[in-house]
Amino acid sequence: MATSGKKWFEKSRQIKGVLLDITGVLYNSGHVPTPIPGSIEAVKRLKAEGIPLRFCTNETQTTRAELVKKLCKLGFELEANEVFPPAPAMCHILRQRSLRPHLLVHPALLPDFQEIDQSDPNCVVLGDAADVFSYENLNKAFQVLISLEKPVLFSMGGGKYYKENDSLVLDVGCYMKALEFATGVKGEICGKPDANFFNGALADMFVRPEDAIMIGDDIVNDVGGAQACGMMGLQVRTGKFRPSDENHPTVTPDGYVDNLAEAVDLFLANRQK
Amino acid sequence: MSLNIFLRTFHNLTSKRQFLKIQWKKLEKNYFPVQKRNHLSQSINSNSDMPPSGKARTVLIDLSGTVHVESTAISTAHSAIERLRDTSLNIRFVTNSSKESKLSLYKRLKNMGFDIKMDEIFTSLTAARQLVETRKLRPMLILTEEAMDDFKGIPNEDPNAVLVGLTPDKFNYEHLNTAFRVLLDKPDIPLIAINKARYIKQLSGLSLATGPFVTALEYAVDRKAELVGKPNSAFFLESIKDFGCEASSTVMIGDDVRDDVEGAMKIGMFGILVKTGKYRDGDETKIKPGPDAICSDIGDAVEYIITNLT
Repeated sequence: MATSGKKWFEKSRQIKGVLLDITGVLYNSGHVPTPIPGSIEAVKRLKAEGIPLRFCTNETQTTRAELVKKLCKLGFELEANEVFPPAPAMCHILRQRSLRPHLLVHPALLPDFQEIDQSDPNCVVLGDAADVFSYENLNKAFQVLISLEKPVLFSMGGGKYYKENDSLVLDVGCYMKALEFATGVKGEICGKPDANFFNGALADMFVRPEDAIMIGDDIVNDVGGAQACGMMGLQVRTGKFRPSDENHPTVTPDGYVDNLAEAVDLFLANRQK
Repeated sequence: MSLNIFLRTFHNLTSKRQFLKIQWKKLEKNYFPVQKRNHLSQSINSNSDMPPSGKARTVLIDLSGTVHVESTAISTAHSAIERLRDTSLNIRFVTNSSKESKLSLYKRLKNMGFDIKMDEIFTSLTAARQLVETRKLRPMLILTEEAMDDFKGIPNEDPNAVLVGLTPDKFNYEHLNTAFRVLLDKPDIPLIAINKARYIKQLSGLSLATGPFVTALEYAVDRKAELVGKPNSAFFLESIKDFGCEASSTVMIGDDVRDDVEGAMKIGMFGILVKTGKYRDGDETKIKPGPDAICSDIGDAVEYIITNLT
């Protein structure tokens, strides 16, 4: 198995906490979600070794509860309080800043916002709305933004694209850029690669960024985001990974692995040395 | 006072009174200063190289938002164009319109009662077709069915370009994903935007235009789009080529402060911003230097040109 030049795994013993991306690392999404070979076992092994672990995802097509249910059904051992998707963090920000959102999100995510006042909106919140990203719906969000004296735009994640049903599809970041361009309003990202989002998950484990590693398939949002936050960032060659990512103009991961299973093998082997 | 001017003024007053009833509050704040200013002296912010009189030879006029909104003419547009016809100024209508073919745009203007010839209209679709033919491109067309008429005979099998124009029906998840995959699979092929307008004025209000969706694709594939229409300098220059006149003796009238006014001013044209169509309060401050002149509508812009630039 080809592993890149930097020996990230030699620092295994210093690592006090691991952040894992979900889609593209644990499983591939689509009509029939399928676990990535070796990932179920890899999570089990990390847990058995007592390594603090959190799941840091930009998943906004379903509620946290439904996501956890789906992953458990696939065979993963994890609990809701270990999973950090953007919606709960977004709700926290909205309450803190007394904002009432116009939501352009996937219908399945709406229950996560049911306790948030959505009357007379004074901001726009985007999620990965998939085919709900129609011209009409984007136009509505645009019109809300330009009607506000102090327009605020949030995007739950800043991703460019991800893999679904074996093909790549545009992610929420592209639609945020579209509305930014139309309105001149800079979007605020709640989710990866925002440092606050990573720090929330790290604080939950009482682990500092320099003692943590993030494993993901998105070179910019997982790997680059984690590195900008002070963590190591490890790139898996699964999910949305493309060979050209290995020559990325701005992000150089601390290492490449073929999949999560290989990452955990190397990590644990070096830890036990 | 000619009959023309009399009629224009009368027409102005009638429509202005109706407008007043509807939007009293907004007008109180914005409209009166503009009206006074335009009737006393129309010079507002002359910082172009063009001397105060005797230099303009050609007038470029934007269509949507300046001459009409959807199928409704701007109230002073008919008389303004007639007044220009009475001068020796060359006239050309330059449009970033990419939603409909040139022929259907021409027919729509005719139906609105405009005395405009087909070859006076210079559209970004025509320019795009020229570009596609010159470079032998086989573009995947993200255009309305109507606009595709302007691309009849252009091959599109095994696309080696993606060309995007205003097509609300296709600005959705499915079509954008398709275009995105073509661009991602072939890193060397160009993404071509008929224009990158941020939004357009429709009777129902402002609506998203081509720019935001092109921006989404640019972000997804880390590639900059090539622009065909305004504010591309080549587009402006091509539109006056037939007249054999310089950019510096050309005036551009439009409601888009960036694409019409700033784009024209960048190559030395005299840029006039009109406060119709997509104009929003404060647009004139969005470019530096500001517009050469700001007028309430095309009628006042023509008055300004005749008084100050001929």
